[in-house]
Amino acid sequence: MLTYNSKDNLIFKLHPFTQMTFIGIVFILALVFSHPIYLLVLLMSVWVVIAAAGNLAEWKGYMKFSIVMVLFIVAINTLFARAGTTIIYRGPEIPLIGSLEISLEAIAYGLGMSVRLLVIISIFCLYTYAVNPDKALRLFSKMGGKSVLAITLSVRLFPLMMKDFQRISGIQRCRGVKLATGSWWERARNSIPIISIMLLSCMERSLQLAESMYARGYGSGPRSCYEKDLWRPRDYIILILTTIAMAVGIWSAVKGWSAFSYYPVLEQVDPLELIGAAITALALLVPAILNWGWMKWPILKSRI
Amino acid sequence: MADIKIQDLSYYYPDTIKPALNRINLDIFEGQFVLIVGNSGSGKSTLLRTISGLAPGFYNGTLQGKISLDGKEIAQMSHHQLVQEVGIVFQNPESQLVMMNVEQEIAFGLENLGLPDKLMKRRVMEMSSSLGLSPHLDSNVAELSGGQKQKVALAGVLAMHPGVLLLDEPTSQLDPVAAEELLNIIRRLNEDNGTTIIMIEQRLERCCHLADRILVMDNGGISADLKAGNRSSGIWMQKAPVSYLPPLPRLFARAGFKDLPLTVKQGRQFINSYIPETRGQNSFNSALDPVAISEIDSRENLVDIQNLWFTYPNTGEALKNVNLKIREGDFIAVLGENGAGKTTLLKNINGLLKPNRGSIKVAGKDTRELPIEDMARSVAYLSQDPNDYLFMPSVREEIQFTMKNLDLSEDGYGDEIINRFNLEPYSQCNPRDLSTGERQRVALATVLVSKPRLLLLDEPTRGFDYQLKEELGKLLLEINRQGTAVMMVTHDVDFAAEYARDICLMFDGGIIEQGSKYDVLQHSTFYSPQIAKLFNDIVDDVITVNEGVKALLGLTTSIKSKEIVTAL
Repeated sequence: MLTYNSKDNLIFKLHPFTQMTFIGIVFILALVFSHPIYLLVLLMSVWVVIAAAGNLAEWKGYMKFSIVMVLFIVAINTLFARAGTTIIYRGPEIPLIGSLEISLEAIAYGLGMSVRLLVIISIFCLYTYAVNPDKALRLFSKMGGKSVLAITLSVRLFPLMMKDFQRISGIQRCRGVKLATGSWWERARNSIPIISIMLLSCMERSLQLAESMYARGYGSGPRSCYEKDLWRPRDYIILILTTIAMAVGIWSAVKGWSAFSYYPVLEQVDPLELIGAAITALALLVPAILNWGWMKWPILKSRI
Repeated sequence: MADIKIQDLSYYYPDTIKPALNRINLDIFEGQFVLIVGNSGSGKSTLLRTISGLAPGFYNGTLQGKISLDGKEIAQMSHHQLVQEVGIVFQNPESQLVMMNVEQEIAFGLENLGLPDKLMKRRVMEMSSSLGLSPHLDSNVAELSGGQKQKVALAGVLAMHPGVLLLDEPTSQLDPVAAEELLNIIRRLNEDNGTTIIMIEQRLERCCHLADRILVMDNGGISADLKAGNRSSGIWMQKAPVSYLPPLPRLFARAGFKDLPLTVKQGRQFINSYIPETRGQNSFNSALDPVAISEIDSRENLVDIQNLWFTYPNTGEALKNVNLKIREGDFIAVLGENGAGKTTLLKNINGLLKPNRGSIKVAGKDTRELPIEDMARSVAYLSQDPNDYLFMPSVREEIQFTMKNLDLSEDGYGDEIINRFNLEPYSQCNPRDLSTGERQRVALATVLVSKPRLLLLDEPTRGFDYQLKEELGKLLLEINRQGTAVMMVTHDVDFAAEYARDICLMFDGGIIEQGSKYDVLQHSTFYSPQIAKLFNDIVDDVITVNEGVKALLGLTTSIKSKEIVTAL
């Protein structure tokens, strides 16, 4: 919530629905595809869009910790998968695991799955940094009534509670409550007063909030929805093309092109089957291409 | 726009036998500006809740009698209809804002009414431009100041176009500048749009000149209904109980005057008409005699701040090269606008923050080397909100909790402090069930039980009426007399002038002036109490109410004796 920082580029200036559709479609395709090339192409598109959004620095941070996970996945898969037939290393007997056999297929499978993980982490990174949480919630508020309002309220109250927590801990420390010294258990026990005060204050505050909502007619009849975000040609262009990417992706999956069998031997790649990947990638790159044009030609800025 | 007619209104909260409102009869006409005053628990808020339909609509409970708007009984109106007729704004802006974004917040009520998008846009536009919120429409509510938040809350209610606007102490949580701005908006609404306004407010000096009518409430009923008539005249005040009068008219009332001025200008005209020739000749507290000065110097330094600099990581420098000494027996008030660094200074003294550069020594020890828990024994800190202290099931346990934390022995001092603060009747009560003033006394007792040498207070009078302020002031003077130095941060210049001995003025992270209140406050334009402004250039060294009464009596008697002399 607190990580969003508005930037002046096309990705940030999209309608939240467009942003969420792009993110949703990439996420679904990452789950649908299992072909390593399809997944790599997806990763590349997301990477370019993140770069266009100007969030590459944050993405690198995400990647650093993901690499550890990737190594872990590959290692585990290599050690435990037995389905591969191209053995590249045969080691000694190890208790619990049995004889150590490392196959090419197992490594490839681990790598393939890692690419999928990287796509999902990257798209999550894009969501965290480029989508205004307010706008995203507003989008959902049209769909669900009370539950979305509850989320909105808790998001609004969260920074307040953080402030409460800091203030109350300070005050109680001035009253001799030890929060910085002592064992973990003692500190946990000593923070009980702070938690109780926060709970009491929260309950009082929620009653007052409910009163204020009632006084402004909440629950008095059907609600309407205040539209704040505007639609621009760029949104339609991107929506159409991401939908095409989705359709082509699904079609490739139905055709079996985007599937890949790792075991027992790695499947041969038919270049024709990669047409789906190419079209998907091109369509998903459109936001980045538009952003590039947007930056380069002011005329485009005013047109779309 | 509507006339409000209240007939035989009684209201009981659920599961109570004592009525919160008792047989109230009241007519309020369209376009009136009505002010409600009264002690806590007198039924002020409940009256607003019944008019807005919150009681019984939200609170349940039993309502007897009738409230009608333009002849239509509100019990017969739907929730949907009623919220379009009557709007209500509450005390605390934090707990009435729902959405994260300002524009969404203003639109929230309109969405609840199911209005079409086009109309909502128009209303949001109108409200934000008339309240000066347009630059903040895209802002996150959490980023706004208290005054701005309260304006957003007001805009959200006004967007629904209510004919009657109810306000429950809307300025009590705001600093004086923000409070003034909000009251101006409310006055404009009343004058330009004819909106009926009913407002509860404790600090009458801010707003009694706005009202047409003042209702005094007591024990669930209306004990006085005062028509202000001409707004600038203070005729109504002759009939009002003295404890509800603002400091200026109260001063004249206590000196036995019949005509009570409302503003400093009127008051000075009064005084000048009595004594045109005595200008600048009278003085009460002649400069401190040499003995007193040497006494001051010999006192021990409790806190010694040298070249203190403090920077917050995100917002920048908050304190810039502050030098200050607090000696035993001092009573210092720190004044200054928001963001001047007052609270940061307090937190540096009590060890919550540690200096970046320079040093603070408390009783000779550098605060950097003292854990905050150890400092708690010698420095007590009372924050703005007493609720931040209270969680134990009874007052006594609350006080014992501090004693246990600080390993203080049970030498009966806990009971002594309960008696001293008049908390004996409530010692078994849950502190959260007490009134604002009582809760603050409990919080004060919990920090003073360690017999600290210094007491720090942050905005202790926020949301207090005159009576509570006087009680607190007297208590602080007593604590000070018994040997605890007091330093308080406040926006309340009158309170500081009345009770503190020294004043410290802060601006932009530095101390710009410091000294006796007579030197600092007397000739200032902004940081000067009303009483000092009243006697400025007429009688010197008059700052507190008592000095004011003495000065007034002195002037009038000298005139009388002169009159006698000339008559002879």
